[in-house]
Amino acid sequence: MAAIAHPDRNFKYWLILPAVFLLLLVGLFPLIFSLVVSFMRVTMLETDTSFAGLVNYVQLFHDARLWQSLLHTLLIMVIALPIELLLGLAMAYLFLDRMPGRQLLVSLLVLPTIISPIVAGATWRLLFDNRYGPINQIIGWFAGHPVPALWTVNPGLVYPAIIFCEIWQWTPFMFLILLAALSNVDRSLTEAAEIDGARFWRSFRYVVLPAIFPVMSIAILIRGLDLFRIFDIIWALTAGGPGTMTETISVYTYVQGFKQFESSYTAAIAFLVIALLTVIVTWAIRRMGLAK
Amino acid sequence: MINRRDFGKIGLVAGLAATMGRPAWAASAADTAVKAAQQYKGRTITIVWEAGLQSLDPTHFSGPKWKELTGMDVKVVEVATAEMFTKIMQDYKSGAGAYDALNVIPAWMPDLAQAGALEVLDPYVEKYGYAPELQTIAPTYRDNQMKVGGKIYGFPDDGDVFLMYYRRDLFEDPAVQKAFKEKTGKDLAVPKTWADFDVVGAGLTAILKDKGIYGASFFRQPPYAMYMFEERFRNEGGKFFDADTMKATINSDVGVKVFTDMRNENKFMPPGVEQFGFVENLATFLQGQSAMTISWPPYGRWAEGYGTDQEALNWVPKTTIAGKVGYALPPGGHPELAAGFALSISSTSKNKDAAYLFIQWLNSEDVSRQRVQLPYTLRDPFRDAHYADPGYLALWPNAKDYLAALKQASQTGLLDLSLLQTDKYEEVLRQAISKLWAGDDPKTILDAAAAQWNDITQKIGVDKQKPVYAAWAAESGAYPKT
Repeated sequence: MAAIAHPDRNFKYWLILPAVFLLLLVGLFPLIFSLVVSFMRVTMLETDTSFAGLVNYVQLFHDARLWQSLLHTLLIMVIALPIELLLGLAMAYLFLDRMPGRQLLVSLLVLPTIISPIVAGATWRLLFDNRYGPINQIIGWFAGHPVPALWTVNPGLVYPAIIFCEIWQWTPFMFLILLAALSNVDRSLTEAAEIDGARFWRSFRYVVLPAIFPVMSIAILIRGLDLFRIFDIIWALTAGGPGTMTETISVYTYVQGFKQFESSYTAAIAFLVIALLTVIVTWAIRRMGLAK
Repeated sequence: MINRRDFGKIGLVAGLAATMGRPAWAASAADTAVKAAQQYKGRTITIVWEAGLQSLDPTHFSGPKWKELTGMDVKVVEVATAEMFTKIMQDYKSGAGAYDALNVIPAWMPDLAQAGALEVLDPYVEKYGYAPELQTIAPTYRDNQMKVGGKIYGFPDDGDVFLMYYRRDLFEDPAVQKAFKEKTGKDLAVPKTWADFDVVGAGLTAILKDKGIYGASFFRQPPYAMYMFEERFRNEGGKFFDADTMKATINSDVGVKVFTDMRNENKFMPPGVEQFGFVENLATFLQGQSAMTISWPPYGRWAEGYGTDQEALNWVPKTTIAGKVGYALPPGGHPELAAGFALSISSTSKNKDAAYLFIQWLNSEDVSRQRVQLPYTLRDPFRDAHYADPGYLALWPNAKDYLAALKQASQTGLLDLSLLQTDKYEEVLRQAISKLWAGDDPKTILDAAAAQWNDITQKIGVDKQKPVYAAWAAESGAYPKT
C-alpha cells in the first residue's frame, strides 16, 4: 500500500506569515525604532545622532516642567472624570424612561462628542473671548455691569475653562454608555428591591451598580486614558499657558517633539508615559475586576 | 565709421551704465529668469508658502503668470506659519526632496543653513546675473535677511516691519489738543519715546474714553507681544546676551522696566487687551476705538480700505477711519522687522536650477513691484523702487506718507533675534509674556526666563552659540546704533 503523502505541517504558518510580518512592521517596528531613538541624540536641528545611553532617561528625572505637566494632567483628570461620570449617570437615569422626543434629545446631547476636539477648543476660545464671546456678556447681564473675565489668561480661570470644555464635550460619551448599561439592567430586580422596601439609593447601590459596573469601568478606563492624553482642547484654548500653567503631558510632549525638535528626548518621554500608563491600566483592570 | 577710440568710448559708457544701474538694453532679472527657464518647460516646481492670504500670490498671480511665460507648473504647498520650519526640516531630514523652493522666515536661516537644508545661492546669483538687483533691496532687509556666514541662502521677499498707526484726525483736533494740554501740561504729539507714549496713551484714554476711544491698543497675545518686547527692549538699550559669557541679560533693569511698563500700559488700553491678537487689535483700530496702534504694514492699507473689497479680505472689518490715519515709526525709532519671508531653495530639490529661476523672477524688481501691490496678499514693500512706485503712490490719497514711513523703517529696522535654535529662546519669551499678563512679578518672570535661556545655550554649547550671536550682533539691524 502506497504511503499517504502528508501535507507539510508547517504550511499553515507560512500562510499566516505575511500577515504577522505586516502587523509587526506597522505595530512593533515604530515602537522599537522609538525605543532605539530614545537612547540616541537625535534632534531635528543637529547632525549628531550618536548613542547617548541613558542620558535622555536621566534628564526626565531632572525635568521639573515634565513633572509639572504630569501634575497638571492628573489635576484635570481627577476633577473632570468624576464629574463626567456623575453627570453622565444622572443624565442616563433621566433618559431611562420613555418620554416624548427622547430619541431626538439623546441625539442632540451626543453631538459634542462627534465634534473634533480641536474645533471644540477653538469654538470655546471664541465663546470665552472677552470682546466677542457671549459668555462674558451673559455673565455681565446677571452682574449688571461688564465682566471682563479673561478665561484664557487669568490663572484663576484657565482651569475652570478647560475643565468645563472637557466636561461639555465628553459627558455625553459617559451618558451614552451608561444609558446603554442601565437599559440592560433587569427591571424585575429593581422592582423586587422596591417591593422589599429598598429606597432609590439602596436599590442603586446593591442592584443597579453591580449590574452596570463592568460597563461603567470600561467607560471610566477609556475616559481616564483620554484625559491622560488631553491635548486638543488645551492647545486651542491656552496652548499650555499662562506660562506652562496648563501644560499637560501631551502638550509638553508635542512641544518637545514638534516645537523644540528634541526627537530622542520626546521618545524617552513617550516611553515614560507608556510605562506609567501600563502600570496604571494594569492596576485599574485588576482593581475593577475586568480581567476576570 | 567707428574706430578703435570710439570702441573705447562705447566700452566706457557701457561700463559706467553697468555700474550706475541696468542699462536700457540689458535684460532685467525677470526677463533673464524667464528666458533661462523656458528650457524647463513641462516641469513642476513645488514651493512651500505660508497658508492663507499669503499663498494667494502664487495660486492666483505669480504661479499662473510663470506658467504662461515658461510652461512650468507651480505647485503650492500651503503650510501654517507655525508648521513651516517643521515641514521643511522633515523634508530635508527624510531626504524626500518634496519641496523645490521655500518661504523661510529669516530668523530660521542659521538653523536651516547649519542643518544643510538650504541651497547656497551665490553660484546661481552669479550665473544668472542677479547681483545688481539684489543691491536694490532696501538696506535693512538686504543686509540682514539674506546671508548666513557670508553666503546667500535666501532673497528677502517681504518687507515685514512694525509701524505705528495713529488717528491723525484726533491728534490734529484742537479740542483734543486743548484737553490734552490741560490734563498733562504737554502738547499733544505723536510719541517718539516710550515715556511719551505712556503720557499720550493715558492722556487720550482719559479724554476720549467716554466716546469709546482708548489712547492705544496693541496685540498682546504672546507670539505678537514677543516681537514688541524684542523691539522695545533694544530701543531702550537692552542687550539679549553678554557677548563674552553668553549669559542671558534679558532680566536686566531694562528688561524689567519694559515688562513693567508693558503691563502698566494695558490699563489705558481696551479691557481684555491681553487677549488681543492680530484680528482683535485690527478690529479695534479700524472701528475707531483706539487712537494709536503698532502692527505690520497691512494695517495701514486696510485702514484706508485698500483691497478690503476683495473677497479674500471680506473678514477684515470695515474701516471707519479711512483718510484719518497717520503713519510713524514706533517709539524709539527702530521698528522690529518681525518675521518677514525670504525665498530659498531646498538643498534636496531635484529641480534646483528651475526653482532658482522661479524665485529670482518672483523677487525681481519688475515682478515684486506687482506682487507687493496685490490687494489680497500680505507681501509688503521691500525694495527701494517699491517705495517710489507711482502706481503704489496713487493707491490712496496719503499712500505717500505710508510708503515714506515704510521706507524710513526699512533703513532703521531691527532684526529679529536669530541664533541656533532661535525658537527655543522665543518660546521662553512667549511663556514669559503670558505669565506677565497673568499677573506674575516681572523681575521673577525675567529671572526665570534668563535662567532658561542659559540652560538652552548650555545645551547647544556656548562655543557653538557664541560666534552665531556675535555674527548676528554685528549685523547692522541687530541693535540700534547709538
